[in-house]
Amino acid sequence: MILFHILTPLENLLRDVLKWLGPHGTIGFTWAWSIVALTVIVRLILVPLTVRQIHSMQNLQRHAPQMKEIQKKYKADKKRQQEELMKFYRENNINPASSCLPLLAQFPVFISLYLVLKHFPHLPGDNLEWLGIWNITDKASAGWGPVLVAVYALSQLASSYFMSATAEKSQRIMLLVLPIVFIPFIINFKIGLILYWMTTNLWTVGQGLVTRQLMPRPAAPEKRSSRTPPKEVATAVAAEPATAPAAKPSQPRKVKRKKGGARR
Amino acid sequence: MRVALRTPAYLGLGLVYLWRCTFGLLSHGSCKYYPTCSQYALDALREYGLVRGSLLAGWRLLRCNPWSRGGVDYAHDQRLFR
Repeated sequence: MILFHILTPLENLLRDVLKWLGPHGTIGFTWAWSIVALTVIVRLILVPLTVRQIHSMQNLQRHAPQMKEIQKKYKADKKRQQEELMKFYRENNINPASSCLPLLAQFPVFISLYLVLKHFPHLPGDNLEWLGIWNITDKASAGWGPVLVAVYALSQLASSYFMSATAEKSQRIMLLVLPIVFIPFIINFKIGLILYWMTTNLWTVGQGLVTRQLMPRPAAPEKRSSRTPPKEVATAVAAEPATAPAAKPSQPRKVKRKKGGARR
Repeated sequence: MRVALRTPAYLGLGLVYLWRCTFGLLSHGSCKYYPTCSQYALDALREYGLVRGSLLAGWRLLRCNPWSRGGVDYAHDQRLFR
């Protein structure tokens, strides 16, 4: 397919990096650990991007009260709601955390690695095992492969959990179900690819944990309480006083329910 | 002309729908534009056919990056083709 030809440069790059990391290269890892190291390198390159995302997420949290207002105001008209939200982003210099390109960009890397593993650059007699159990050029359905697939699915669940922190509940459930749905397909991949996927998931989990440290706990309750009684924020921002007096904050949790009533 | 334009576009539309019901589910709600990139692709393919629609969708995807601002952006308002 044409797609595969487009990916040839990336495939070659990945192969070269793997060779450099591998048993005959400068670093001298076993092949399996080279794949792990390659994954870490890919994710390290993406760290600046992650930092940006964390920043914009914090920014979003800060503006959550006003955004809630907009969402409430145009509840009936989803289209209008989105447009107003986008306008709000623009006016307040908010950069929404997520975007499509980074998500999509993972696929070329993944497919390229798949192609690399198809014609793996190992020499006869090379050690292809990982932890002495799995052979990276084997299919995941063979031998102990399914165990690794199970570990992968768990890692995917964990990483989805962190990725979906801002998602809605229905989306969250979807994110949690999908890894299990994917298993029948994944079991046909080679162990090396699963190793890559697992490592990248674990990295995401680690990143999520670090992010939680960076965005300290108070942030989450604060978000909840401040968006419900918009008074504090409204006085601070003095932008949306119209709806602000409706909710009188007493205790964050109670007010949350009050919000529904105050809407009338 | 319009019908002729649309027939190959079904290929692209099919691909977008395929994306939507597989991996798209994973990335649901993560677009910074409105309409989302996949919706934009569908609109663009329907209105401008396979080649121009794909180009528009590709350009939109490139714009949907962490450094862009996002915003409201309809396929119909594109400036690439007239």
